[in-house]
Amino acid sequence: MGAVRAEFLKLKRSLSWTVVVLLPVAMVIAGAVNTLVSGSRPEDGWHTMWLRSVVFHGLFPLAIGIGILASLVWRVEHRGGNWNALMSGPTSALRIMASKAVVVAVLAAAMQAVLLLTVVVIGVVVFAIPGLPPGRYVGVSLLIMLACVPVAVLQSGLSMLMRSFAGPIAVAFLGAGAAVVLLLAGLDAAVFVIPYALISRATQLGTGTFGDTGAITGGDVASIVIGALVLTAALTTATTQILDRRDTRT
Amino acid sequence: MSYIVATEQLSKRYGSRTVVDSLNLRIPAGCVYGFLGPNGSGKSTTMKMLLSLVRPSSGEVQVMGQPMNRGTRRRLLGHIGSLIESPPGYGHLTGRENIRLVQRLLDLRDEQIDQAVRTVRMQDQLDKKVRDYSLGMKQRLGIAMALARQPRLLILDEPTNGLDPAGIEEIRDLLRRLSDGGVTVMVSSHLLGEIDKTATVLGILSGGRLIFQGTRDELFAASTPDVLIDTPHPEYANTQLKGMVASRLDHGAVRVSGIGDQTTARVVAHLVGAGVDIYGVRRDEQSLEDVFMDLTGGGGL
Repeated sequence: MGAVRAEFLKLKRSLSWTVVVLLPVAMVIAGAVNTLVSGSRPEDGWHTMWLRSVVFHGLFPLAIGIGILASLVWRVEHRGGNWNALMSGPTSALRIMASKAVVVAVLAAAMQAVLLLTVVVIGVVVFAIPGLPPGRYVGVSLLIMLACVPVAVLQSGLSMLMRSFAGPIAVAFLGAGAAVVLLLAGLDAAVFVIPYALISRATQLGTGTFGDTGAITGGDVASIVIGALVLTAALTTATTQILDRRDTRT
Repeated sequence: MSYIVATEQLSKRYGSRTVVDSLNLRIPAGCVYGFLGPNGSGKSTTMKMLLSLVRPSSGEVQVMGQPMNRGTRRRLLGHIGSLIESPPGYGHLTGRENIRLVQRLLDLRDEQIDQAVRTVRMQDQLDKKVRDYSLGMKQRLGIAMALARQPRLLILDEPTNGLDPAGIEEIRDLLRRLSDGGVTVMVSSHLLGEIDKTATVLGILSGGRLIFQGTRDELFAASTPDVLIDTPHPEYANTQLKGMVASRLDHGAVRVSGIGDQTTARVVAHLVGAGVDIYGVRRDEQSLEDVFMDLTGGGGL
């Protein structure tokens, strides 16, 4: 646990928290402003709100957001003598990769919580949608947080490998694009192969958009959970191996 | 003698370029090992291989009697403190927060941390952000982080780089105190004067090869000082030696380089035979700097 606690200490005064709050809030507000400008209202109440914020967020911004968080978390390690210090301590490659991924995943989960909260606040205050959103949105949000874990592991691995801040974020953008295409084509099995497809699929759950049927079945939930677990295990193993074999730059 | 670090034919090649060539380092436990060489001679790469930050192309490293490789490194690294190239430290955190990170990561006690911080005299600077530290303060914090785990071996790569004379003296003093406390210290430098007074054993690297390893006395013995011949007719004497040995005029004397005792006797006999008056024949006083230059072929100092 020492390694994870150390990672959280590094987040002090970090830009990460700004990203966690600003990105989802900006996404929801942008959706609301669009709706207001077009002079319409969310006809279907909470369902429309959800489509225009959470589902949209899941197409590109979420993957990019996790990419930014991972690059921020790794950026400090690429500076000065920090990489040498990190690699010449007794902390194993697995503990290093796991603790970094935990931090990114927790930040991504916090981002999702902020998103949900903003949706509720804007829905009630700006659009005066009657009642509270259906309880299943909380369940879906938890599934989205789980789906973010393998993306956090992958982005963390990319940011470990690349000194460039933007490089891994560009990969997230391309990966999210590929995921959208695959899901539109109805290739749901992509969730077992591409982590970005997993977050898109999870955000679309129960909305009837893209390949989704509109109903949340046990099979849908199970495939997301299994996909998240399998991809997390595989990516953690792979990134740990890479870190352990890699030589310091000379 | 027991060696805390020993390498066998340690080499590193990048493509066709050999950076470190068949090194057999022997670092006795408890010494201050001065690792000298011009910039680019392979010191940093060697130190990185000792820490398994870089894998050797061939050869092997033994640390504390055990092979150092990717399988064993994490266990051994718990007993090795190091500072390679630039000092570590997270700029957005204070010195105290940086030290606490190390404490959490290595599961250290408060006393260990306090002692390390006091050793480098940083206890009054800990509430500043590391971003605002001077280079000397960053170096000292880096050394404190390396010392906190109470290592048996400390590997410092050019720790005096960029420091002012007072800072350099402070590092020297620190190395002596650590060594007195039983820690083996390996310290590299491209400036002989910086570690001359602290190192008890020297290793000299040039072009990736270890050209000397031993004590300072052994180093003097390894290099032959020039012979100076005092005579009232140095020009005439010099022309008499042409084609026989490498000689030149030097402040009213004749300087002859690279000759042993036998040749010296023949040179003197030859000059006497040619009718040159000889007032004195002596070996030149040699500084460690001269020896170093001699061994490295004058490279890069």
